[in-house]
Amino acid sequence: MLRREGSIDAIISQLPGTLLDGLIRGLAYVGIALGLTIVFGMLRLVNFAHGAFYIIGAYVGLVVTEHIGLWAGLIAAPIAVALFAIALDYGLLRRFYHRDPTSQILITFGVAIVVQEALRLMFTGTTRSYNVPGWLHGSLNLGFTQYPTYRVVFAIGIVFLVLAVWFFIERTNYGLIVRAGIRDRIMVQLLGGNVRQASTVIFALGGAIAGLVGAAASPIYSVDPNTGFNFLVPSFVVIVIGGLGSFWGAVLGGLLVGELQSLTTLISAPASDIVIYVAMAIVLLVRPSGLLGESDVIRG
Amino acid sequence: MTSAATMAANQNETLLELENVNTFYGDSHILKNLSLRVKRAETVALLGRNGMGKTTALKTIVGWVPPRSGKVLFDGADIAGREMMENARAGLSLVPEDRRIFTNLSVAENLRLAQVTAPRAGWSLTDVYARFPRLEERARNKGDEISGGEKQMLAIARALVQGSKLILLDEPTEGLAPLIVREVESIIRDIKSQGTTILLVEQNFYSALAVADRCYIVDQGTIRYEGTPDELRGNTEVLSRYLHV
Amino acid sequence: MNNRLFYILTALGLIVFPFAIHPIGGYPGLATDILILGIGAIGFNLLLGYAGLLSYGQAMFYGVGSYVALLTVTRFFPQVHSIWLALLLAVVFATVMAFVIGAVTVRLYGIYFALLTLAFAQMFFFIVFQWRSLTRGDDGLQGITAPPLSLGPWSLDLTATLPDLNLGPFGNLHDVHYWYPFAAIITFGVLIFVRVLVRSQYGEILAAIRENEERSTFVGFDPKLYKIAAFTIAGMLTGLSGALKGLSQTATAVDSLDIDTSGNFVIFTVVGGVKTLFGPLLGTGIVWYLQNVIGGKTDAWRLIEGLIFVAVIVLLPAGLLGIRQPARLPYDVDRGRGRRSYPSQLPDVVGDEPILVVKSLSRYFGKFAAVSDVNFRVRTGELRAVIGPNGAGKTTFFNVLAGLLGASEGAIYFKGHDITRMPGPQRVALGVAKAFQTANVYPDETVFQNVRLAALARVQGMFRPEFLRASRRLDEVAELAHDALEMLDLASMSEVRVGDLSHGDKKRLDIAVALATQPEILLLDEPVAGMSIEEVQKTDRLMRGLAKRMTVLIIEHDMDLIMGLSDSITVLHQGKVLAEGTPAEIRANRLVQEVYLGGHLQGELPDVKEHKT
Repeated sequence: MLRREGSIDAIISQLPGTLLDGLIRGLAYVGIALGLTIVFGMLRLVNFAHGAFYIIGAYVGLVVTEHIGLWAGLIAAPIAVALFAIALDYGLLRRFYHRDPTSQILITFGVAIVVQEALRLMFTGTTRSYNVPGWLHGSLNLGFTQYPTYRVVFAIGIVFLVLAVWFFIERTNYGLIVRAGIRDRIMVQLLGGNVRQASTVIFALGGAIAGLVGAAASPIYSVDPNTGFNFLVPSFVVIVIGGLGSFWGAVLGGLLVGELQSLTTLISAPASDIVIYVAMAIVLLVRPSGLLGESDVIRG
Repeated sequence: MTSAATMAANQNETLLELENVNTFYGDSHILKNLSLRVKRAETVALLGRNGMGKTTALKTIVGWVPPRSGKVLFDGADIAGREMMENARAGLSLVPEDRRIFTNLSVAENLRLAQVTAPRAGWSLTDVYARFPRLEERARNKGDEISGGEKQMLAIARALVQGSKLILLDEPTEGLAPLIVREVESIIRDIKSQGTTILLVEQNFYSALAVADRCYIVDQGTIRYEGTPDELRGNTEVLSRYLHV
Repeated sequence: MNNRLFYILTALGLIVFPFAIHPIGGYPGLATDILILGIGAIGFNLLLGYAGLLSYGQAMFYGVGSYVALLTVTRFFPQVHSIWLALLLAVVFATVMAFVIGAVTVRLYGIYFALLTLAFAQMFFFIVFQWRSLTRGDDGLQGITAPPLSLGPWSLDLTATLPDLNLGPFGNLHDVHYWYPFAAIITFGVLIFVRVLVRSQYGEILAAIRENEERSTFVGFDPKLYKIAAFTIAGMLTGLSGALKGLSQTATAVDSLDIDTSGNFVIFTVVGGVKTLFGPLLGTGIVWYLQNVIGGKTDAWRLIEGLIFVAVIVLLPAGLLGIRQPARLPYDVDRGRGRRSYPSQLPDVVGDEPILVVKSLSRYFGKFAAVSDVNFRVRTGELRAVIGPNGAGKTTFFNVLAGLLGASEGAIYFKGHDITRMPGPQRVALGVAKAFQTANVYPDETVFQNVRLAALARVQGMFRPEFLRASRRLDEVAELAHDALEMLDLASMSEVRVGDLSHGDKKRLDIAVALATQPEILLLDEPVAGMSIEEVQKTDRLMRGLAKRMTVLIIEHDMDLIMGLSDSITVLHQGKVLAEGTPAEIRANRLVQEVYLGGHLQGELPDVKEHKT
């Protein structure tokens, strides 16, 4: 594949940075995909509007950060998105739970368009970025390379986020209801569990996570109304590869896709756009349930 | 006809009453003016061949399949069409025919869930493990790693943990080896002795007769017979006509 | 509506269209675009509305169509100065592409199908983008001179305009380029084609598959082949759409392959009304109007589009995809005369060769063995009952035999053929039919239509590309259907809709449907469950009749029925075979009584004291 020694050297020298970039991107994908997969697992909802959660979080983060500060932004974003998600749930999406996925895709696709266009009108489609507090500027010495401080903190933050969500689902009583509800909603109700409330909480949580990631990732990836959709499709790629409804599948899938994209840029920059679709196509054709998903999920 | 005073006394005695309940699945009329009564601390068996509406009756009581008409009175209140969750919290438990153990949770987690969602205290985990030692052995195993008999024990244990007033059992001995069937019958007798009211649906009517105080026979969606086990045993005509025994 | 009226109204509509939109700000160029894009939307509608497949990748056919058309003119065959070749090549290319991709994707459903089509579309986008030497990549193809429309010696420059004629508020004739009539004629052709297609035998079966795919599979249709055909035709039409667009604007760009373009087809079709013939055109019109006319005035046009889209989905009654079915062609039925397509007696009443042999069959669900190491032999013409307590694995066993579920281990031989891995439709063709425990029929059809579909599958096979004609060999089909109804005593209820049937009648219909496939072995799953005593007796008589003509396997709980009816009985318990033998042997078998009746001898009632230990 590689013929000239020169390019091998070039690739090797770029490797650490590329791997780290892939890790960061992968962690961003994990953050977004997590909400998407949990919502699918619990509510059997295919949510094409999930990207909208990300982008609303990004813009709320943007506005609040510019006026108050980064930490306020990171708190306001998930709260705003959670409220939006609850409103969306009650107002519209509730009746689409457990319906055929085609209807779900269509309605959430419609919501995504509406949100994207509304934001475009509000923010007149210019790309924006904002500044972060001083201590997050610059770069850190990681031993084998220098890497931007903000990204390192971002990565640590996502890891904590994943662990926190894991703890909530696996170790709390509420999480127990959620997990049981994923497997058998009716039995949970027969035991007196409030599945409907748990559903709304999960939906809001999924959105909030995506919103938080949106706000936190903006300094890295910049923000424009299309970003929602730009992250939406890869996040579906992630959960398909990892397995729809699987928590660790989203983590594994996210990291894989992030690294895959990043490493492919070393070989050919445009190829990095297409490689994730090729990967998804392979998974869909060979093992549609994904790496960590359950089989018998193929039918709709 | 009973006098008003007697009826009033009966009211307090009655924990569950179905009055002319009609339930449909889509356009199929399953329960046709079904009426029955269960008194406090009684164990009542609902018998009949497959497909006659026994499971549907339980589902109607618990709110899983709301009736189109008729009354479902639980502890004096009409709960017809009320949500499953509310009914469960009011002290009404259904142990479904297919057990419905959460296969992604461990045995201990299955029990803990039942504790968490119950508004009142029932059996403690210690009590459960004392009565069902095999569940304690399996506490860490996931729901799909235990045997059919253990699943049935767990399903019943969940209802006990919830401290319910009325436990509905749908075919508790179905598909179990004879030895386990005995054990289930013994558990039912224990539950009965603690004063809990039981309504059970059974295909295996010998098992049902072993524990029941009173029996109903359901055929084509209505009650065709009511009597005690002794009365039923003696009635060969009813036995052959409705139960094909 | 009858054909002639349809043609006239459509033609009139197309003629009037470019002028009718003038008062609201439209113009003929817009009308041309709407028709061209509408053709693609009609193709998409075939997929979504009629086949129930949401494809998120139609842009690949659209874009490829436009590129191939323009490249034909500029690169491939520049010496042939004709638009026909460009169109032809584009359409052929798109059709082949659609066939190949369809064959690979239709095995998936729902979100998986949508994402795979998206993945393929993105790959084509990438190829076109990168292949700069051919496609000029990012720059796209432009500045091309479009060839004229040539028919023999006569040639027409499509960019020329019609003569001057003022139509008042409806504009002027000279605003119309010849592109419009050209597009209109093609659109007219497409509409006729799709109308005929939907009413053809293919269309009818496609609709049945949409209504109940499982039942359709198990009367013998192969849904995959029907879906591949739909995908191919949709791709063909979308490719045509792209080619026309590219040629009419003499330019194309990579964005004709991007995700937004795919999304547009979704929006056009949904807004206009899925599963209707003109819906896609209407939707395309509304959206294109929004974009080009309203879009000129306000930036919020896309927001409006999104809101309309959401509103349409929410407000549509009974689900988006359940609207008016296409009217069925009245079929020529010759009922009740010239009967007999069924043997009245089997050649060997009870032959020696086993018709069905099952070896060490197991089926797992995760760690749970629903069926475990079952060995099973049935002789031709036997009536075998399979009994056992609930949860013993009886239905799972039947489902594996019929092909609804795959076997985890072991093998199944039917008439000597190894059918272990054979898909459902092929098993039905071989002669294995199953009636379902919960009646599985076409819910929106009449009794006769239900049975007729099964008979149709029997007569014409798993797939026949009969796109332009209604079903043929109708007499044969009707006869077969009528026979099945007669055997089940349902002939008097032919015209009753399924929704009006009683539970017992639905079960009988389910059996009739299975019978109409002319099986050699019939699997009945609890045929008398829920029936009254009288109905049970009737069914008993029926099954005796069936048993004379074919091998019958029954799952049942009704012991009286079983004992009187069966030649032999297999008892299953916890997934394994517990006992096997004649009714007398089984009745006397203590183990069976233990398991089935909780440890009591049949007919003997336990002593009360004995139990309350």
